[in-house]
Amino acid sequence: MQIEWPQVVRSVFSERGAFAASIAVLFVGVVGSYIVWRWTRTFLRSAGVSDAVEGTPFERTARSFGTSTVGIVSTIAAVFAYVLAIVLAVNLAQLGNPDLFWQRFTGFLPSLFVAAFALIIGLVVGDKAKLYVGERLRSVKLPEVSIIPELFKYSIFYVAILIALGQLGVETMALVVLLGVYAFAVVVVALVAFWDLLRSAAAGIYLLLREPYSIGDRVRIDDNEGIVQEVDVFTTRIESDGEEYIVPNQTVFVSGIVRIRD
Amino acid sequence: MTGLDEFLEELVADADAVCLFSPGKSHYETLASDDVVVVGPDNDVEADAFVQLPLEFEDLRDRIRFGVEGAVDHGYVDEDADLVCLAKVFGEDADTVARVRADEFEKSGVYDLFANSRAEPSVIRDVLEVAVELGKKGQKGKPVGALFVVGDAGKVMNKSRPLSYNPFEKSHVHVGDPIVNVMLKEFSRLDGAFVISDSGKIVSAYRYLEPSAEGVDIPKGLGARHMAAGAITRDTNAIAIVLSESDGLVRAFKAGELILELDPEAY
Repeated sequence: MQIEWPQVVRSVFSERGAFAASIAVLFVGVVGSYIVWRWTRTFLRSAGVSDAVEGTPFERTARSFGTSTVGIVSTIAAVFAYVLAIVLAVNLAQLGNPDLFWQRFTGFLPSLFVAAFALIIGLVVGDKAKLYVGERLRSVKLPEVSIIPELFKYSIFYVAILIALGQLGVETMALVVLLGVYAFAVVVVALVAFWDLLRSAAAGIYLLLREPYSIGDRVRIDDNEGIVQEVDVFTTRIESDGEEYIVPNQTVFVSGIVRIRD
Repeated sequence: MTGLDEFLEELVADADAVCLFSPGKSHYETLASDDVVVVGPDNDVEADAFVQLPLEFEDLRDRIRFGVEGAVDHGYVDEDADLVCLAKVFGEDADTVARVRADEFEKSGVYDLFANSRAEPSVIRDVLEVAVELGKKGQKGKPVGALFVVGDAGKVMNKSRPLSYNPFEKSHVHVGDPIVNVMLKEFSRLDGAFVISDSGKIVSAYRYLEPSAEGVDIPKGLGARHMAAGAITRDTNAIAIVLSESDGLVRAFKAGELILELDPEAY
């Protein structure tokens, strides 16, 4: 489409008219990019983006340059619109030969902007995720737990950089493989570490749904006999005179349960 | 205003400790250097000396009384300490200063009811709130009664028998779930006791309690529902929360004794 346009304009106007038209396009581009800038800014503001990114490092960096995340994003959008206008105008006036360079440049331009947006969004979302996860883990009073939010943040950064590089056409295969290995390792570690918990939870869901025994029943699991006080997803609590056995639910499945009726 | 300043200074002079009732974070930090005990439903400010009082008692007297009782129980303040209490009564910020001696009150056991029962404090609070709500609403304007037995559910189930089919069989409703508020109206129609586990699961309704009532000492004039409540808490480690049909008050029992009396209308 973009290649066809200059020819169409040329056939409608004269050579000189095309030059005037290209000036007009430049002018329209200025106005258009200003409108884009205004519109993006108001849209992002009303969408609550400026509140959402408040306090993230990216926003703080932007602030130190006298702008903000919303400002940067809308400026990029405006620059995109303006560069588009320039390219169009140059094409119209046929200042440079509308050769391969322009074709590739115009083709490359959108990816460049997508890459920039991907980076910005990745940075902001990564920081937000870190804050959110940190907030959720705040009640866990364990110093080492603070590594988990960091991990989340850098995982998201990594994915954002991958998307950006992919847009730019950089060979990212090795990085994707690295990401795959990383994800695989996380899953494997989780599976191994939480194996017993997962088995207990699977058994617990069955117990909760079917209730083969319920609170108040007298039961025996292995050698622990008593009255069931509580059944939750992971454990069953059995109590007999002053002793409370907390039995992982998987043992109920492994060794079975004896209900004692009298 | 010098007279007022002097009066305030005199009021807070030589206090052994300060009790903050649900303070804001900045508020707490300005005072944190002193001997400060924080009392409230949640430890938002991460204070070291914290007394959990799950219920925000509307009456300031009750709030201070039960909070101070908890602080003494914890050993944060001595039994004969002079305390300055900062609380919010009208607004969102602390607006009231009160001075009390820690031994001014008779021991009520309310703090003990929340903190040292089998059930979790939040569960007890939720059940109290359900009872209060039920007391306010009633059924079609008529007062209703209800009996909730909280904690030690296994034993309670063994000391009771069903009056009818248990509507909570194979359900997993917990007090504090939003659905419980919707079910309140249905609750008032069910006779017998509700049995609630330590973690707040509603185990059963329609339970007829069969504890031995020997040695239960509850105020004369209370009916069979209260007697059953007192007796079951004496026989097991549960606590019982009763909504009286005749006078509309919510009462809490522990170890066979009446601990707390609340008026739903005033709460």
